[in-house]
Amino acid sequence: MKEKIIALIEEVLGLPEGIITPETTMDEVEEWDSLAHVMLIGMLEERLSVSIPLDEAVEITSVKEILEFAGVE
Amino acid sequence: MTEKIAILSNVNMNFVIRSLKSKIDVYDAEGYGNELGTLLNPQSSYHAFQPQFLFLMMDLMQLLDGASDDEEAKGKIDRWFTALPDALGEEICYISDAYLWTAEETDADFQAKKQAWESLWQSRLESFVKENGKVRIFPYQKLIKAVGEEKAFSPITWRMGKIPHSSAMQKALEEEILHRVWVETRVPKKVLLLDLDNTLWSGLAGEHELTPIDLGGTDVGAAYRKTQEMILQMQKQGVVLGIVSKNNLQDAMDIIEHHPAMVLRAEHFSSMKINWAPKHENIMEIARELNLGLDSFVFFDDNPAERALVKEMLPQVEVPAFPESPEQLPQTMDIIYREYFEKPYVTKEDTERTRQYAENAKRMELQRAAVDFESYLKDLEIVAQRVNPENHMERLLQLVNKTNQFNLTTIRYTAEELQAIVSDRDHYDVYLYGITDKFGDNGIVAVLIVKRQGEEAEIEEFTMSCRVMGRNIEHALLDAVEEDLCQKGIKVLRGSFFPTAKNAPVEELYPALGFELCGSIPCRDGKEYKRDITDGLRRVGHVKWKE
Repeated sequence: MKEKIIALIEEVLGLPEGIITPETTMDEVEEWDSLAHVMLIGMLEERLSVSIPLDEAVEITSVKEILEFAGVE
Repeated sequence: MTEKIAILSNVNMNFVIRSLKSKIDVYDAEGYGNELGTLLNPQSSYHAFQPQFLFLMMDLMQLLDGASDDEEAKGKIDRWFTALPDALGEEICYISDAYLWTAEETDADFQAKKQAWESLWQSRLESFVKENGKVRIFPYQKLIKAVGEEKAFSPITWRMGKIPHSSAMQKALEEEILHRVWVETRVPKKVLLLDLDNTLWSGLAGEHELTPIDLGGTDVGAAYRKTQEMILQMQKQGVVLGIVSKNNLQDAMDIIEHHPAMVLRAEHFSSMKINWAPKHENIMEIARELNLGLDSFVFFDDNPAERALVKEMLPQVEVPAFPESPEQLPQTMDIIYREYFEKPYVTKEDTERTRQYAENAKRMELQRAAVDFESYLKDLEIVAQRVNPENHMERLLQLVNKTNQFNLTTIRYTAEELQAIVSDRDHYDVYLYGITDKFGDNGIVAVLIVKRQGEEAEIEEFTMSCRVMGRNIEHALLDAVEEDLCQKGIKVLRGSFFPTAKNAPVEELYPALGFELCGSIPCRDGKEYKRDITDGLRRVGHVKWKE
């Protein structure tokens, strides 16, 4: 699951494999802007059934937090 | 793709725009929800960008925001469409069709509203498209249904960033946008050639009694029938159909004419080659019959050996793959339609063309049935009528400038030159003819422009549309022209032939019509002919005249 989530983040951001790690944060990656962030939250639900409530989704700033929500960290 | 496009919307489509950027030059929309303002402002970056294609992806719920009843909704839709003509310029514009979506819980009231508002948008859009040649409908509804209504929308991205579409739907939108641009810019194919056994039906003709083959019903036969229905739809939109099949003619025709589940019948095919000759020879024959280049053809056959041979012998013909299982035939046919035949819009000419090819096919059938050429011509019941060129200047211009095969001199004229000739009755006669026969009206298809000088006259232009070639109509036309000229005191008629890459079919026309060679014209390799028209010659023909 962890790998799937990281692969999905790379797909949304249009990045090659291996750039995103569990420690990556939003401000480290230029492509991870607010538009991409919205798409990421949507695709986590659509593809991997990871539903993050709206008020928490807007607070997320790192891969670690996403993994925690998915219950894999 | 080298085209430039713009996507304007009243919801957030920026991720679609971002994804498309690697494939096509897309306008960087400044936010969303100001599509009319962007278009109406001549100083906007949109106009500096100058896109050839504009996609207006309108979310109906946002557009009708807060409308309390149908009346108010109608007013908002009317205002949007009323402002649009001023906002549009030279670009081709696609506007999404109606789909009302909300992220909120829906009830029966919403369903009623959805139906009413969608139909308001749809009918306004359809009439707008009819009035504006550069505006087309973007098939938004169809995409939603293909993705699945449940999967096409995303409440979470809507709430977070006014993005209504799921990533699956966004992908479908991107593909459709690129497909539309491609359809607008490529040259479509004209003819779909079909094999019969295991291509139009399952099984082999002639192997059993009348219902040997599997067609209709529920299993494989249903897929074949559905595919035939799709092909018929394509035919109605202007795709010309032909059969190229190795079969006994009678066995195949029994099925085509009598099988209860057949959708396609003989009348839908412009040409049928059902014999044991090599398929590439049959295809070349069809190309000649229809007067079309081989690059207009797509050949569909279940047999890989036949496909390989056609590919090898006729590389200009497109030969798509056949699906692994017949159940996939409808999808394959949809791909073939989109890949080779789909047009941005279907014109009157497209449906006309189908009718004309069909009539031509019937004429050829008659030609096969008639015992000889003379009786074939007689059975056609050809009627010619001379028409006044002043009432048909556009057609006259088109005829002299676009006809390549039956064109003796290939002199091209401007509209002004033609107008001067038509008006100059002291020197010129313009003989313009319409032709009908028992299968239909061929329209205005032939013209002779004759210049008189003393007792001689010269045929400056002698042109006939290839639609009516090969029926000896020119014999009757020249008889009529000579009769008219005799009455005007002309004794000698001259004509000339200048060869071009296309007009070989009429190289020997003047000798065949009783003219004698009297000289050559060094320029353009021309030949001069003349004849004494007081000899009372009447040529063999089967044309009746209408006043």
